[in-house]
Amino acid sequence: MPRYLPLFFVFAGSVLGQVGDLSYKNRNVETFEYVWKTVRDKHYDPQLGGVDWQAVHDELKPRIEKADSIDETRNILAEMLGRLHLSHYRIIPGTVYTELGAGGGHGGDGSVGIDVRVIDGKAVVTSVDTDSPAAKAGVMPGWVLRKVDINQIAPLIAEYLEHDKDSSLRDLTLRRAILLRLEGAVGDTVHVAFFDEHDQAVFKNLVRAEPRGRSTVLGYLGRARVWLDSKRVETGGQTIEYIGFNLFLDPSNLMPEFASAVQACLKCAGIVIDLRGNPGGLGAMATGMAGWFVDKKDARLGTLVLRETALKFVINPRAETYSGPLAILVDSTSASTSEIFAGGMQDLKRARIFGSKTAAAALPSVVEMLPNGDTFQYAIANYVSEGGETLEGNGVTPDVETPLTREALLSHKDPALDAAVNWIKSQKGTR
Amino acid sequence: MNRLSCVLLAGSILLPLHAEDLPKAETILDHFVEVTGGKAAHEKIHSEVTKGSMEFVGKGIKGKIASYEAEPNMNFTSADLEGVGKVESGTDGDVFWERSAITGPRIKSGDERDEILRASIFNPYLNWRKLYTTVETAGSESVDGEDCYKLLLTPKTGQPVTEWYSKKSGLLVKSSSVHKTQMGDIPAESLLKDYKPVSGILMPFTRIDRFAGQEIQIRVDSIEFDSAIPKGRFDLPEEIKALVRKSGATNDKPIEKK
Repeated sequence: MPRYLPLFFVFAGSVLGQVGDLSYKNRNVETFEYVWKTVRDKHYDPQLGGVDWQAVHDELKPRIEKADSIDETRNILAEMLGRLHLSHYRIIPGTVYTELGAGGGHGGDGSVGIDVRVIDGKAVVTSVDTDSPAAKAGVMPGWVLRKVDINQIAPLIAEYLEHDKDSSLRDLTLRRAILLRLEGAVGDTVHVAFFDEHDQAVFKNLVRAEPRGRSTVLGYLGRARVWLDSKRVETGGQTIEYIGFNLFLDPSNLMPEFASAVQACLKCAGIVIDLRGNPGGLGAMATGMAGWFVDKKDARLGTLVLRETALKFVINPRAETYSGPLAILVDSTSASTSEIFAGGMQDLKRARIFGSKTAAAALPSVVEMLPNGDTFQYAIANYVSEGGETLEGNGVTPDVETPLTREALLSHKDPALDAAVNWIKSQKGTR
Repeated sequence: MNRLSCVLLAGSILLPLHAEDLPKAETILDHFVEVTGGKAAHEKIHSEVTKGSMEFVGKGIKGKIASYEAEPNMNFTSADLEGVGKVESGTDGDVFWERSAITGPRIKSGDERDEILRASIFNPYLNWRKLYTTVETAGSESVDGEDCYKLLLTPKTGQPVTEWYSKKSGLLVKSSSVHKTQMGDIPAESLLKDYKPVSGILMPFTRIDRFAGQEIQIRVDSIEFDSAIPKGRFDLPEEIKALVRKSGATNDKPIEKK
């Protein structure tokens, strides 16, 4: 029997299909059939939520056979996938997919050291890494990113807001698209235009440097940089531990770092875990981290429902756990494993969630290349929280909503973190 | 890896071809012991060390694996995967545990523990009469083009196991069951291939495990019987000892010692 069954992975792997030498209309039909069969054979629910998939096929095939443009083809495919009423099924035009980085971006992972979010239609700097090129150049949180080399940012934002207007993934993909504009080879210079805190135009020549974090590779998911930041905050005579990390990857390093941060503060007044901007990674790492805060045997973060079986995300309590107030910070770019962790801890009433609603992208999904050159993203499992809700399409709604504003950033404030700290301080003596 | 799932054979017995003449399961299981080296050869072995590599097929994730087993039911397995880290599991014959870089340390209990206890018995094919209350030949089936006898083995507790034995070689080529895990019941199957002799015993050098839509391929580099096992190899890791102290108990139920 399988004795090596200790691991549980459901990867968002990438499978490249064949691109045949077909005529345009034949490619459309082949693409249509590929997408239809993939959904039929790989949807986590064999009943497809009650949709008569064969009828959908028979209805739409005559139209795809007559389709005269790539846009018409995409519209028909979108209509077909729309019948599923699930957000994780979509056709991504080849050009957009390349834009999102699958095609390699600017050929390097050199970074200027800033993070951004789109706030009120503008790309606002939300953080600047210590000692990064941006920090050395005086870039500040709250500045507005206007232009990267010759590329204006506003049209990019407008395009994405239009293209992904109904997608919960919009903020996630838009942030990624903007940051990709800033990436490139280490040592190269990028010319960046901002509006500063006085809304004055500012130009900076930033030399891209090695990005923050350790480089790690997880199979075909590719290379990623992983970092964890922990610090102690003394406030009002109380000690609060802050832990933030950018991905649920590189477990052999990240998990011990996370453990050290928690263990060093087992008597602290509170712990804050910052998952803002964290798009997820290995789902099971959420249970490993939860084990530091949940002391109840057989408690779960939720259940992963695959086509063949259902897998419970059981938490393994550590020998010594932290029992004090726990705050988790999320925003619209917190996705996947971040949502599993935050949503699960919220359901267990073990943590209070601060920030803004998450990306609602908690389904393990894969991306495949289609015969017509577009790409097809589809889910291979569903995730159901202990509260009985599917995270996909719904996301995690914070207990305390604290929208991020440019004004707050310019005032050196962090509404979500501030609210979390205030809540922890109010819990004094409740342990 | 376990010799149970490995072994096999040198000779071939003449087995009936008609469904109504299917050989008894007992005959097939005993024949498996014979073709893999014989009862006497198996009984001489008291420990096993296996080393090899593993790969999550289609995911690009690879790593090294090593397992140590000794009588009566002690074992330790370590998988070190690139980009993931170590996942270890084992038992000192009393406490069954796992320590994962991803999910942390834990002690196995309940149905999961019962199943692993059964799987941890050294030389299981010599002891199948103790492990299963009934064994029956369920029919004939082809596995990857090879005609096989299909056996259904039912343990005293837990899920039944289905095994396929080659009619030609007598070797175990496939096993399937629904495994009790912490995450739930997981249907899984294993294919055993590439049998080679090791100190007079036939052992499979390739194993393919399929479960939950994933496939793991294990290729064995070396198998040693009765070689020196590092002192303390089966001792509980400190993290597991701490969990044992916390729970105040070592087992859900006592383990029958040989």
